Amino acid sequence: MALPQPVPRAEAGAGAGPSAIIRVENLSKRFGSFWALRGASFSVRPGEILGLIGPNGSGKTTLFQCFAGVTPSTLGTVSIDDRAVEPHERKRHLYFVPDGIQPWPDQSVDWVLRFVAGLHGATAAAHVEVVELLGLGPLLRARLGELSKGEHRRVLLAVGLLTPQPLLMLDEPFDGLDLRQTRDVMEVLRHHAAKRRTLFLSIHQLGDAARICDRFVLLSGGYVAGEGTLAELRAKAGVSDGGLEEVFLALT
Amino acid sequence: MRSRSHRTTWRWLLEKEMRELASSRAYWLLLVVVGALVGHAFITSVNLYAEASGIGGGPSALAQGLSPLEGIVVPTLGAYDIAATLLFPFVVIRLIALEKQTGELALTLQGPAPFGATIAAKAIALFFAWIIAGLAGAGAMIRWHELGGHLYAPEVFTVVLGHLLRGVLTIGVSAAAASLAASAASAAIIALTVTLGTWALDYVAAARGGVLSAIAEYTPSAALRVFEHGELRVATVLIMLTLGIGGLAIAAVWLDEGQRTGVRVARLAGVVVTVGVMCALFGRMRATRDVSEDRRNSFPRADELALRDIRQPLRVTVYLAAEDPRLTDLERGVLAKLRRTMRSVSVSYAANSRSGLFERPNDHYGEVWYDLGGKREMTRSTTEPIVLETIYRLAGRPAPAAADESPYPGYPLAAHVTLAPWVFFVFWPAIVLAAWWWARRTRVRRLQIVGE
Repeated sequence: MALPQPVPRAEAGAGAGPSAIIRVENLSKRFGSFWALRGASFSVRPGEILGLIGPNGSGKTTLFQCFAGVTPSTLGTVSIDDRAVEPHERKRHLYFVPDGIQPWPDQSVDWVLRFVAGLHGATAAAHVEVVELLGLGPLLRARLGELSKGEHRRVLLAVGLLTPQPLLMLDEPFDGLDLRQTRDVMEVLRHHAAKRRTLFLSIHQLGDAARICDRFVLLSGGYVAGEGTLAELRAKAGVSDGGLEEVFLALT
Repeated sequence: MRSRSHRTTWRWLLEKEMRELASSRAYWLLLVVVGALVGHAFITSVNLYAEASGIGGGPSALAQGLSPLEGIVVPTLGAYDIAATLLFPFVVIRLIALEKQTGELALTLQGPAPFGATIAAKAIALFFAWIIAGLAGAGAMIRWHELGGHLYAPEVFTVVLGHLLRGVLTIGVSAAAASLAASAASAAIIALTVTLGTWALDYVAAARGGVLSAIAEYTPSAALRVFEHGELRVATVLIMLTLGIGGLAIAAVWLDEGQRTGVRVARLAGVVVTVGVMCALFGRMRATRDVSEDRRNSFPRADELALRDIRQPLRVTVYLAAEDPRLTDLERGVLAKLRRTMRSVSVSYAANSRSGLFERPNDHYGEVWYDLGGKREMTRSTTEPIVLETIYRLAGRPAPAAADESPYPGYPLAAHVTLAPWVFFVFWPAIVLAAWWWARRTRVRRLQIVGE
């Protein structure tokens, strides 16, 4: 089985300037003979909201897992300020909240949030703020196992927001939320990003992504098809006046 | 500052594991069942002991033969052997497997503590849970004491230590199974297979002897028997601890899913080899202490002094098959004591067959040869006085005069058990259920969400 060739950077130099905090180079993951991720390269800048865009099965979750170091990648490096960061060191710099997990089903929301805050050294004020921003007050005594999908999503979002790492990665943060909740959560995320916390969101709904993200990484079939702001991606795709959807279709 | 942060991390990790444990129905069920098992064993033991002590005017056994260690303590606390074999593994497996099944593992791996600390916190919580389960046994011992029964503290503590180490072993084996298996059900199958494997090893070793027999000394059942015989053997303690901690190390290595499979396999192999080497080294340690009140694991003191004074190595060649009951007598009554007492004892088992039924006349079957200081002598006896006489003759010294040792008095007690059934079959389950309700009560109620 031949190894995949590193894919040329979608926007050469666009994300690797002096402001880049994290560079991902040639990240690849093979399951048996199937390459789920093929030479993904991009960068994450401080304080931005970066969107990982791609259809189902494009490798978004795999990319997040390999990036976060919770799953070993087959190839590739993650570096911060030009220093390669080994997978076991990455938890000092980033925190990843996966999609589809059901942790602590028997514990109350209140205890889980106190646990995460206590474990990661979050302040009481941060705890109160997160509960208030995400409207979790009425759920505090409920057990996680008995929450609806949307409620559960908000609790996991709160878990992520209580962690201190400079980069927070959220896999499908709007999945299971209704329109109003989605808008509220976007506000919360913007509020957090405004405090110079970098967010990297995996989103398969292009409309949601276009509304919240500053820049995008387009993923298709395990390849990074493009990286940049909407304007940069438009230019790359040769689409003069299209939305993210048109750009994505043009580039993939 | 750093140590304070570590303390905080540990406190949260431990609290989390304790809460997960309190949420586990399997653990509460274990507590209820352990109470019933201990109660049944205790009541049966006390009744049998009372019968042997001549309750109701019936014939009684010799007082010297009535030892609370084997009459009450061992059978009552034996309930924990059943629990450690058939119940506790599921509690352990749930605590580990839940982490994988719910996806919590991905969050744990990103936590501030090293992953080994998470496994250690789980182990501590589980060990604490095992101690809590031990309260039923403690209650039985207290009740026996209240009935006027005799307890010899070193014996009781040694048996308790055996069961605590049995718990550590179960935690280690089950944690390893839960980490290696894809699901809790598969882990349970692995854990039970290991148990069945050790039973098979016990059986095969009893029939074949040799190296297998040496290994089988450290199966959970065999290791526990050492403590139940009132013997505190350093090798057994260290090997049980090593195996238990080794199992936890396997779990810590294998669940670290951020590492490449090759790295995890290499580390796993490292753990297995390290545990194997440590067990082999510990197995050579001979330090042991007979803590039984009747000194059942020791020769008379005068003989011990005389035997310790013999500096030449003793070599014993036994022509008895593994299944021959005379070999069992020789092992327990003589060879085990010789190994504990003399400086250098080596035993070789020279019988060709397993049963000894079809040996030829020139196979020396039934003979036991003793070599000491270049002299050699054979006896067919497996009894302690004859063997000691033979050894003294070979050593060229007279048998020591018997010291004035007070014989074991024995502790007959014809007691009636009246309160125990209520304690173990009514109060204990009621307390466990009340505790379970209290543990859940604080977080099951969900507030009505306005506008939802």
